[in-house]
Amino acid sequence: MKFAMLRTGCSLAILALAIGSASAATIRIAEHRQARIDALNASIPAIEAKLGVDIEVVEYPAPEKDYFSKLLTELGAGNAPDLFTANNDADVPDLVAAGYVADITAAVQSWDGYPELLDVVKRLSTMPDGKMYQLDSMLSVSQIYYRRDVLDAAGISTDQPKSWAELLDRVREIKAKTGKYGLLLPAGTTWGGGAFYEGVMLMLVGTSTPQILNADGTLDLTGEGIADVLDFYKTLIDEDLMPIDPLLGPEPWVIPKYEMFPAGELVATTCGSWCYIYDWGPESKNPIPDVTDAVGTWAVPNEDGSGSTVTVGGQSIWMVNAKGADTEMATKVLLELSAVQPTVEYAKRLGNIPARRDALDNADFQALPELVPVLQNAESGTYLQSGEGFSAVSEGFARATEALLRKETDAAGAQQILIDYTRNLLGDEMVK
Amino acid sequence: MAMTYEARLAWQNRLLLLPGLVLLIAFVLIPAGTAIWLSLTNEALNGAAALNPRFVGARNYVRLFTDGGFWNSLFVTFVFVIGSSVIGQFVLGLFAAVALNRPLAFRQVFMAAILLPNAVPEVVAGFIWISMLAGGEHSTLSQVLAPLGVPSQQWLQSAPLLMIIVVNTWRGIAFAMILMTSGLAAIPADVYEAARMDGATARQIFWRITLPLLRPTIFLYMLVSTVGTFAIFGLIYTLTRGGPGGATEIIGIYIYNQSFTAYQLGFGSAVAVVMLAISALLGALYVRILKVEV
Repeated sequence: MKFAMLRTGCSLAILALAIGSASAATIRIAEHRQARIDALNASIPAIEAKLGVDIEVVEYPAPEKDYFSKLLTELGAGNAPDLFTANNDADVPDLVAAGYVADITAAVQSWDGYPELLDVVKRLSTMPDGKMYQLDSMLSVSQIYYRRDVLDAAGISTDQPKSWAELLDRVREIKAKTGKYGLLLPAGTTWGGGAFYEGVMLMLVGTSTPQILNADGTLDLTGEGIADVLDFYKTLIDEDLMPIDPLLGPEPWVIPKYEMFPAGELVATTCGSWCYIYDWGPESKNPIPDVTDAVGTWAVPNEDGSGSTVTVGGQSIWMVNAKGADTEMATKVLLELSAVQPTVEYAKRLGNIPARRDALDNADFQALPELVPVLQNAESGTYLQSGEGFSAVSEGFARATEALLRKETDAAGAQQILIDYTRNLLGDEMVK
Repeated sequence: MAMTYEARLAWQNRLLLLPGLVLLIAFVLIPAGTAIWLSLTNEALNGAAALNPRFVGARNYVRLFTDGGFWNSLFVTFVFVIGSSVIGQFVLGLFAAVALNRPLAFRQVFMAAILLPNAVPEVVAGFIWISMLAGGEHSTLSQVLAPLGVPSQQWLQSAPLLMIIVVNTWRGIAFAMILMTSGLAAIPADVYEAARMDGATARQIFWRITLPLLRPTIFLYMLVSTVGTFAIFGLIYTLTRGGPGGATEIIGIYIYNQSFTAYQLGFGSAVAVVMLAISALLGALYVRILKVEV
C-alpha cells in the first residue's frame, strides 16, 4: 500500500516536471505609468504568438524616480524582470558598470529592423567601446513650447529667439505685458532627472562647452557652459520670470505643466513631443483645445546666437537583465518591442516618436499629425554624450538648481555644489 | 545523572526563549550588523561600486559629519520630534485622557474620534492631508481660513515643518491618550479622595498628584514615542518627500534619499548606524531617568 502511494507520488512529480519543462518560457517585463503599461499590453499578444513565449508585465510605481529606485533594488538583489527600461540614456552607463545589463550588440546589428533605425538612435544606443547594451526604441525630442495664443493676444513676437539674450528679453517682455511667468526650466531635487534632462541639458548643448564627458571617460564639470546655464536659471529665478514654489513641492511638474500652462499662467516651458499628446493633447486630463495651433515650438537658441538646437534623447530604452533566466529569448522580445507597431502604440499614448524611419509609412502613426514632422526632423537633433557617473551628475544638477530655487547661492556656488556632490560620489580622479 | 527540577526548568525557559532569540537575531542583529559593515564600504545600488564594492574604513563617517545635509536633517528631526511627539501628542493626549477620565456625555464618541486617525495607514493619512494643505486656494485649509482674512497659500511650502508637526500630532494623539488613560486608571482613587478632604483644588490635584504619579507612564510614552517618531517615513514621504529644499527632510527621509535616490548604500548605512546610536542613547537616557530595571 505504502509502495503504491510512493509510486503514485513520484509519477505525479515527474508529470508536473514534464509539464513545466514543456510549457513556454516566461519573460517578465518591467513597466511603469498606466499609459506605458497600456501601450505594452497592446503589443504583447502578437509577440507571444510570434515567439511562442509567455510574457508577464510587472507593474512598477509611476514616478520615474520611484520606478528606477525599485528596479535598481531588484537588480541588485538579482530578482529583477528580464526586460526593463531606463528613463534616460545617461542612466545606462552606470547600469552597465554595475553588471546589470547584457550585451546585445550582435543581436541588434543582425536584426532586420537595424537598417531602419535613425542614425542618431544608433549613436545613442552604442557605448564608447562600440558595444550595445540598450536599444532606444523611441525618441524624445525636446525644445521650448510656448502659448502662441497668449503671445498673439499680447502682441508679443512668436519668432524663433536667436540667442539666450533674445530669449531672455522675450521672457521679460511676457512678464511685463501679461504678468504671467515667461519660461519654466525644470529644477530642483524632487523633479528627479528632469532638472538635468529637461532643463540644464537643453541649454548646455548650446554653450561654448557643450559636453561634459572627456575622451578618457572622466567628467569636466568646471566648464564655462555649466556656469552660464546656472546663471541663466538664476536670472529667471531672481527676476521672478519662472514659477518657483511649485518646483519645491513633492510633485513639481503637476502645477506648472498640468495647471499653469493650460491656464495660460505659464507661457513657455521646455518639453518634449509628448507634451502635444500626453500633457496637453488627447491623452491629457487637462487638454488645451486645438493644442497644435495654441501651442508653438522654438528650438532652444544657442547662447551666442550661432544657431539653435533640438535635443533628442532615448525613450523606452530597453535593456536585457544580465542575470535573467533566458537572456536570448529576452533579447528577441526586446527586438519585437522595437518593431514599428509596438513603438506606434507607445507614440499614440505618450507622444514620443518611434526611433525608426519606416514608422512614417505606418497608417496609425500617420494619424498622429503632431508627431510626423517631429520624426521627419529627428535626425538633425543633438544630444549630450553620456558616460559612467551620469546618475550622480544628474542628481548634482538637481541639487545645484534647488539651491538656486531657494536663493541660497549664485551660479558659481551652484556649480560648486554640483562639483562637490559628484566628487563625493565618484571620487576626485573621476571629476575634473 | 538526572537533572534537578530547577535545571530542567531553566532549560525549558531557555527553550521557550529560543524562538524569540532566533527572530531577534534574524531580523534585528544580522541586519544591524550588515548595516554596520555596509557603512564601512562604498557599496552602491548602481555604477561600478555596485559590482565591486570596496572597504573604505571610516570615510563615510568623515563625510557624514562634514555634510551640511546631515546636520540639517538632524536639526529638522529634532524639531519634528520635540514639536509633534514631546509637545503636540503628549500635551493633547494627556488633556484628552484627563478630560475623558470622568463622566461625560458622548464620551465614547469623543474617544472614537481621537482614536480614528491612528487607524488610518500612514500613506493614506498623507494623501488626506495633501488635499487639506496643497493646492493653494483650492486647499481645504485655505478655504476654511479665507473667511478669517488669511490669504490662501501652499501650506506645505510656506510652513512645511509646522504642517508635518501638526499632521503627526493629529495622528499620534490616540497613542498618547491610551497610555495616559491606563496610567490614570492605575492611580488609586483614595489618593484623590484624601486630597479633596484636605481641601486641594483641581489644579493642585493635577500638579501635585496626577502628574507625579503619572511619571512612569509619561517616560514610557516618551521613550516609545520618541524612538517611533525618529523612525517615521511614509507620512512625510507622502506629504513632502523631505522638501521643499530639505525643510522636512527628517532622518528617515535623508537615509532613503542617500540610499535609494543617490544610490549610495554605504553612506546611507552610515547615517542609519548613527541614527541607531542616537536612538539607543535616548532609550538609555529615558530608562535611567525612569529608574527602572530593564
